[in-house]
Amino acid sequence: MSETKNPLGLSSIPSVSSEGLVPVGRRTSLSSYLAALWNRRHFIIAESRAKMSSSTRKNILGYGWLFLNPLLSVLAFWFIFGYILGTSRGIHNFLGFLVVGVFFFGYTGKCMTGGTGAIRSGASMIKGFQFPRAALPISTVVRNFLDFMPTLLVMVIVLAIAPPLEEITWRIVLVIPVVILQTIFNVGLACFLARLGHKIPDLTNFMSIVSRFWLYGSGVFFSIEDRLDNHPALLAAMQYNPMHAYLTLVRNSLLYGVDTDPKMWIVGTVWAFGLLIVGFLFFWRGEENYGRL
Amino acid sequence: MADSEIQEPNIIAENVQVRYTVNTNDPGSRATGVRRLTNKIVGRQGQTTVRALRGVNFVAREGEMVGIVGANGSGKSTFLRNVAGVEQPDRGRILVRYQPLLLGVSAALQPALSGSENVRLGCLAMGLSPEEAAEAFDYVVELSALGSAIHRPMGTYSSGMGARLRFAIALAARPKILLIDEALSTGDATFAERSERAMDELLAEAGTVLLVNHAAKVIQELCTRAVWMHRGEILMNGPAEAVAEKYRWWAWNVAKGKEDIADKLLADVVSNAVKEEINILEPELIKNPIPRHAARPSKTKAAPARHVKRQDTVDEIEETPTPMLAAAEEQVWPKSFDAEMPKAKFPALPKPASQAVSAPRITDAPPLRLNPSKKRVVLRAANPNDRASSVAAADDFTGRRLASRARKIADERYEERQRLRQEDEAPAVHQDSRR
Repeated sequence: MSETKNPLGLSSIPSVSSEGLVPVGRRTSLSSYLAALWNRRHFIIAESRAKMSSSTRKNILGYGWLFLNPLLSVLAFWFIFGYILGTSRGIHNFLGFLVVGVFFFGYTGKCMTGGTGAIRSGASMIKGFQFPRAALPISTVVRNFLDFMPTLLVMVIVLAIAPPLEEITWRIVLVIPVVILQTIFNVGLACFLARLGHKIPDLTNFMSIVSRFWLYGSGVFFSIEDRLDNHPALLAAMQYNPMHAYLTLVRNSLLYGVDTDPKMWIVGTVWAFGLLIVGFLFFWRGEENYGRL
Repeated sequence: MADSEIQEPNIIAENVQVRYTVNTNDPGSRATGVRRLTNKIVGRQGQTTVRALRGVNFVAREGEMVGIVGANGSGKSTFLRNVAGVEQPDRGRILVRYQPLLLGVSAALQPALSGSENVRLGCLAMGLSPEEAAEAFDYVVELSALGSAIHRPMGTYSSGMGARLRFAIALAARPKILLIDEALSTGDATFAERSERAMDELLAEAGTVLLVNHAAKVIQELCTRAVWMHRGEILMNGPAEAVAEKYRWWAWNVAKGKEDIADKLLADVVSNAVKEEINILEPELIKNPIPRHAARPSKTKAAPARHVKRQDTVDEIEETPTPMLAAAEEQVWPKSFDAEMPKAKFPALPKPASQAVSAPRITDAPPLRLNPSKKRVVLRAANPNDRASSVAAADDFTGRRLASRARKIADERYEERQRLRQEDEAPAVHQDSRR
């Protein structure tokens, strides 16, 4: 096909109009991204439930393990700390203290490790079809939340019926906002770590150590107020640890039935929403890179 | 042939380049010095860069089913992934009219769940609402024809049954652009007919299908057009029959170890390639009547000196905020132009002989061929009346997209394919004997 030149000096080659066509797979504006994510909410929930049920379906007891697992853990804690060691470390109702700490921290810890590997474990889905990638870390949190619900139920029942009996006050309902705050915090954390873990794959090895440090720093096994008396600077820093805030709030509301310092509520709320915004924006900005592994 | 000029493009790929950095234990590409030492310590060997796509230009229009053939590692799947948007090319850009759907729902499905549960999960994964997923359920069951097996866990399915279910789920989302990578070969004969019919309906509704398959025969039977990819470039682009035949002949020679003949064939194909270029008309100028530099807030940067060379226009386009896909259909012109736009006058050019002759059949392949090595002129239309699409709209094509017509086209295509297949029974034996 020989090229002809029109009077303007341009070659007359066939043309297509790109009108109405948009670049594919590009990061969309934040509002449309959020809208797309909201449209996939059913998928996020269905996927989390499917993953959960396919992991339990192979067992004979099926969903029963969701309740049995926490129950057996409580039994193990009681056997070791209550029966054999007989320790209380100067804490009233040490068993309850410990159980609250371990379960609530476990929820965030699982979201942390799950979020770090979310992109890698969802690699086949990312390569398979187009969806807002933030669905992956969020689905990790949703799955852990669904796992956590039976645990929470078991915990409340055990604490209510097992000795030493606690008087249940109205403050028990305060557990609900704390769980909501912690879940919001977890979403932000999972989003943040998902992009970080995608950039630096080695982070998965590092995360278990970070998680360990955080576990001890949040006062899961002991009260950090007692232990860090002679390190006032460290103690002050620990006061701003979000997990410590959530654990204290739950213990005060559920175990001891006393009011909590409003400062703890502020710390927990600021962390939850702050990390949600920072983590989500951080994840969203990397949206186009997740297809490359 | 003028027909292809009228059809609106659904996919435009412009100079798409992809490279991967991968590990290699090739002794030739071993690093030296400190790099080598660190590589030793972390237990890694050398790294190399693979150019998976080296500048692919490609346009697919509505109603087209384009086959992609090529040897293993020629970049077919990479190209499909880039069109689907799950990966971003390093250079170039890909424009689409609708969100393409890669036939890859399998990733979202859970083998432990039953087929019916997976149908729901897959539909939700593709963005359907729960109500739409429930409506699509019957369609999926009918298309996949799994019978009572739909209630059994998907892990117990045979590979063919799994492929059928995946294909049916993908079509339940009613995609306008479907990308199929090595599927459909596992289904049996009854399913092949059903799936072809489903795809014809998709094409008749102004959709586009890209099909990657090694079997040149499948491409010949199904596609209207084919491209031959070789080492990350489009080598040949034309009617499915011709391209698939040439590819098959080349592959046969390679398989028989007749490298010299194969190389000669390649050289022949390359030398016979006709340079066909295409303009991509950007609607951008009209959408933003205010020049970008005028619209830019002053706080960002001091204006560059006048003698500083302007950036390449293509780069500028990539910077612009991209509209959402859902909004693609309502790309708006400004409600009113402030001033009367001057009309550019293009002289009526004589039609090339290839376009003037021959009334096109619907199965005719469009003549589009893009030469990746040549730099193309990108015209910017100053007036909507000068765009190619408006020229097309001048003809009477208003009823083209009516559903009844669409169905009729699908029927015709189906009938013709059935007829061709029956006729092909004898030649098929002949072709096989040649292998």
